[in-house]
Amino acid sequence: MTDDVMRFFAAWMLTHEAADEGLKAAVARGESGGAEGMGGGSDAFVDGLAAMVAEEKERLKRALEARARGEEPTAERDSDPVLEEIRFEVAELRGRLDSIEALLETLVRKIG
Amino acid sequence: MASRGSTVLRVLAKYLLAEVPAAHFGLAPGRVRRAAWARGMRRAFEELGPAFVKLGQLISVRPDEFSEEIVAEMRSMQDAVPPIPADAIRAVIAAEFAAEPEELFASFDDVPLASASVAQVHRATLARPYRPVWGETLSAGADVVVKIVRSGAAESIRADIAVVRRLAVRLARTGLARRFDPVALLDESAATVERELDLRQEGRFADRFRFDFRDDPRVVAPRIVWPRSTARVLTMEYMRGWCLTELEAARAGGVDCRGLAVHGATAFMRQVFVHGRYHADLHPANLFVTPDDTIAYLDFGIVGHLTPEERMNITQVMAALVYRDADRALTYSAKLGVHVPPDRIESVRRGLGQLLDGTTRRDGTRDFALFGLGFLKLLGRHGVRIPSGYGLLIKSLATVEGVARALYPDIDIVATAQPFTTRILAQRMGDPARMRERMPAALRAALRELVA
Repeated sequence: MTDDVMRFFAAWMLTHEAADEGLKAAVARGESGGAEGMGGGSDAFVDGLAAMVAEEKERLKRALEARARGEEPTAERDSDPVLEEIRFEVAELRGRLDSIEALLETLVRKIG
Repeated sequence: MASRGSTVLRVLAKYLLAEVPAAHFGLAPGRVRRAAWARGMRRAFEELGPAFVKLGQLISVRPDEFSEEIVAEMRSMQDAVPPIPADAIRAVIAAEFAAEPEELFASFDDVPLASASVAQVHRATLARPYRPVWGETLSAGADVVVKIVRSGAAESIRADIAVVRRLAVRLARTGLARRFDPVALLDESAATVERELDLRQEGRFADRFRFDFRDDPRVVAPRIVWPRSTARVLTMEYMRGWCLTELEAARAGGVDCRGLAVHGATAFMRQVFVHGRYHADLHPANLFVTPDDTIAYLDFGIVGHLTPEERMNITQVMAALVYRDADRALTYSAKLGVHVPPDRIESVRRGLGQLLDGTTRRDGTRDFALFGLGFLKLLGRHGVRIPSGYGLLIKSLATVEGVARALYPDIDIVATAQPFTTRILAQRMGDPARMRERMPAALRAALRELVA
């Protein structure tokens, strides 16, 4: 979701690149935003966000240029997070079963 | 039990009396006097054993309730005790597995690698290969460490907590402890210790941590060997490298300490803001840097968990720090249970504003520890109770900053948090429920702009 939102803003920024001087100024303020540049509460947040969207826009631009040249887009991790989570949970269950099996072996040794 | 109670009082009295000369028989200036009593208390806690060591660790994260001197002393408390004999360790293994270490491992070293109040750690090698929950298979002969809860540790800790709880109830009745609730503190300490005594919880968190950082080859945690693990024994991969107390050796070994500091701080932000679960007992002995430039997290005995709502509110508080927004910090701290009475809000806001402005170092970087601990103290001065999770997180962030600055003195931990907080708040903007709520107002604003 985060990436979707950032991508959306980045796409918007890309198509309005030449148009909005105010946004460019916000990006510049956000980029310079060390301790000195971040003194303005929610306005400073907007500047920080604008700078990050600008970074995302540059990535989007590079990806589009690469695609136009017929290159494969740079490999981004697109493994399904839900499937990954399920894989982990199954593996974790296996760990628990390994532990239970060891416990049973202990019981057998104690009884035997 | 009564005799243990007397022992506790006797040991406390012994160390506090030993500090009487340092306190100039109570006539020394406040700070010197308080430092002397705090030192006495710390020494008494170290002698009294694991339950008190854990209690001290808890006190060390409560600058809102305890004096600066006590907090500093408790932070320096040593949890290193003489090792217990190999026979006692072997007895625990035999009780847990009904087998000798030699039947369970290809080799087992009777000489401990480390010894703390709750557990002792020994080196061993695996007899058979094992496929861990996450990560590559550990081969037969792989080096592992075996962490074993000391025999009798659980029982003595529980007994000590019961004894001290009685003393705490009496103390609470006298009204002498005005600044803190001794019974609540004890109960919190007991809950933390109970979690630490079941090593399986630590192992599960290590597995989860490996999974959370599966896409980051520079952050690792040891793989757990479950067939050789129980509640009192935890077997895990041996991590080679240097702990952060051995930085010079690491540098000599060619480790990129600066890069690791930045990466380590980022990894911690990711734990808090993205995963909502974090290593809450970071100190230089629990962090390793390896020769291939990775950071290895060890000892997941104390971990923090955040619900998605808490995570969002903490993100907002951090964003408030990043963007120096006192109102935002107070609004979202309230959602985390930090309730400032209405008649004190203005004063707290002023103090917070001063803290936000006054925590920039000469080199322009921000001092998070100064801010975080200052904020807790500010709330304490205004009689505001602080939820334990909130204090734990601030202490953890302050520790991460300290560790990172040891590696890279110019690091700005607040700047490290900026991308996370900004991204997560941006994510919130895309939340459908929030869009539904805010879109009409946004549209009205847009229309006003267009009409103008």
